[in-house]
Amino acid sequence: MRMTDLRLIAALSSFIGLAACSSKGGDPARQYGPDPYLPEPHQYLLPPMSVPKVIGWKVGEMPTVSADLKVEALATGLEHPRTLYTLPTGDILIVESNGPGTEPYRPKDFIAGKVKARAGASEKGGNRITLLRDSGGGKPELRTVFIDHLNSPYGIVLVGDTLYIANTDAILAFNYVPGVTRLTSPGVKLADLPAGPIDHHWTKSMTASADGSKLYVGVGSNSNITENGMAVEEGRAAIYEVDRLTGAKRIFASGTRNPTSVAFEPQTKQLFAVVNERDEIGPDLVPDYLSSIREGGFYGWPYSYWGSHVDVRVHPQRPDLVAQAIKPDYGLSSHAAPLGLLFSGGQHLSPVFANGAFISEHGSWDRSPLNGYQVIFVPFMNGRPVGKPIAVVTGFLGQDNETVHGRPVGLAFDRSGALLVADDVGNTVWRVSATQPGT
Amino acid sequence: MPTQQPSPQGDQMRRPIGHSRARALLHRGFIGAGGVLLIAAFGTDYIYYTTALWQWANFSAWLITFGLIVMFVAVLLLLIDFVTGRVGRPNISSFILVTAATLLSLVNAFVHTRDAWTSVVPQGIFLSAVSTILLVIAGARGWSLANSRAAGERP
Repeated sequence: MRMTDLRLIAALSSFIGLAACSSKGGDPARQYGPDPYLPEPHQYLLPPMSVPKVIGWKVGEMPTVSADLKVEALATGLEHPRTLYTLPTGDILIVESNGPGTEPYRPKDFIAGKVKARAGASEKGGNRITLLRDSGGGKPELRTVFIDHLNSPYGIVLVGDTLYIANTDAILAFNYVPGVTRLTSPGVKLADLPAGPIDHHWTKSMTASADGSKLYVGVGSNSNITENGMAVEEGRAAIYEVDRLTGAKRIFASGTRNPTSVAFEPQTKQLFAVVNERDEIGPDLVPDYLSSIREGGFYGWPYSYWGSHVDVRVHPQRPDLVAQAIKPDYGLSSHAAPLGLLFSGGQHLSPVFANGAFISEHGSWDRSPLNGYQVIFVPFMNGRPVGKPIAVVTGFLGQDNETVHGRPVGLAFDRSGALLVADDVGNTVWRVSATQPGT
Repeated sequence: MPTQQPSPQGDQMRRPIGHSRARALLHRGFIGAGGVLLIAAFGTDYIYYTTALWQWANFSAWLITFGLIVMFVAVLLLLIDFVTGRVGRPNISSFILVTAATLLSLVNAFVHTRDAWTSVVPQGIFLSAVSTILLVIAGARGWSLANSRAAGERP
């Protein structure tokens, strides 16, 4: 009996030892580009977490940009601003939103909820859209509530005289008259979107095709890696194509775990998405990515990642689907949580940024050291991402790399070509412009 | 035994040496309750293993969590049993069985925080199977981690 017990204790301590030496993440630079470094996956006893402390911005504090750029707060005191959209009139729409909230299913969900709350992810969203009118370049003369009482809105796009807003459960269509400061007509539902139960990844990113006939909607998975069962993943982790006139929808591409932003590359008119990949198999797994999205393409989730790397947590496995899984175009490093994707489409801010995409990295909560918390620029050539990313807006993390001032989310250009960055922890919209206009 | 009026201060003093009544152990029922919850987790793990229906894995996670909470209460009661002199001789082998099963279940609680299949297969169900074997033996021995002081035994 005693011997058995000793052996058990030895086994136990080796288990605990495994938990204690949960590895630190390596240099994220290795995971940008077409062939990111992919270490072996691990199964942890203690889910790896490194939760930053939110300290917000003190008066006068702001993100950091290079010397040829300047940054200023365009709007403060918002309620969890997520998506930004500039109307043809120059009016700026700020979607203030957060998830509808979920019931904990497991003991772990309680803990994870508390952890994410500490990172500032649980603040109540405004469920509304605020309009800013800024004709003076950084000094808005008007700020009003454009529309209120939405249901966790995220995607927004104007086609002709119709403004489409993607709530977490449906696309609503509103008649829009240029110059109005408030939507008065009630919205008409164009199409339902997968939402509850659970609604784990709740954001519904949205864009429109160049001719305006189709809308494209990113729908995230209902779990990290199918821990809520396969039934609730029906129709999720996919990018939908919705016919703008009839509301008929179909899955355009699948296996995209959480496509948090969709956008068309302006030269090639090719659809791209940034996708947040799975957690809890290592600080350097799995890299989030930027990828062109092929019609009918399958991008791996849940069965595999980065092409055919099988995820053993999914049961039963599907080797047939793994064989079809498309390798994404461009790694964005692990747990950086890219949320905003904005093609520059010309000479905005600087000639360096003429061709490529700005991507906001919301920042990690389950990786040590922290990763993300910046806006980067990924250069493009011939409609494809190439080369190394350039950090454009940083300083969302404190000097100690453990405290957080803010987290960047939605991106847009204002009418003057300045880059706007929504910050859902600092509850601010930042405006980044060139110090020498016209250079 | 002669009937006595209960008297908080005088009970020990007045009880004739060699005739004191054995008092019930507080921890025993809680060890049993916690043990049953931890054993049940093996059952739900097994069903998850055969069906891959996610809710069974969630049941396991809850059963282990509550099993550990009840075991924690049992430890406190065991301490009270010791302090209040209810305990006669510790039951070493049962103590080792239950302690090992509880520590394994604590590790298993962490294994069960993983997502989907690997929260149970293979380590989770292995740990709950081993815990179950240990707990069934402890249960067969009556769940007590210590014998109550026999009637008449000196404090």
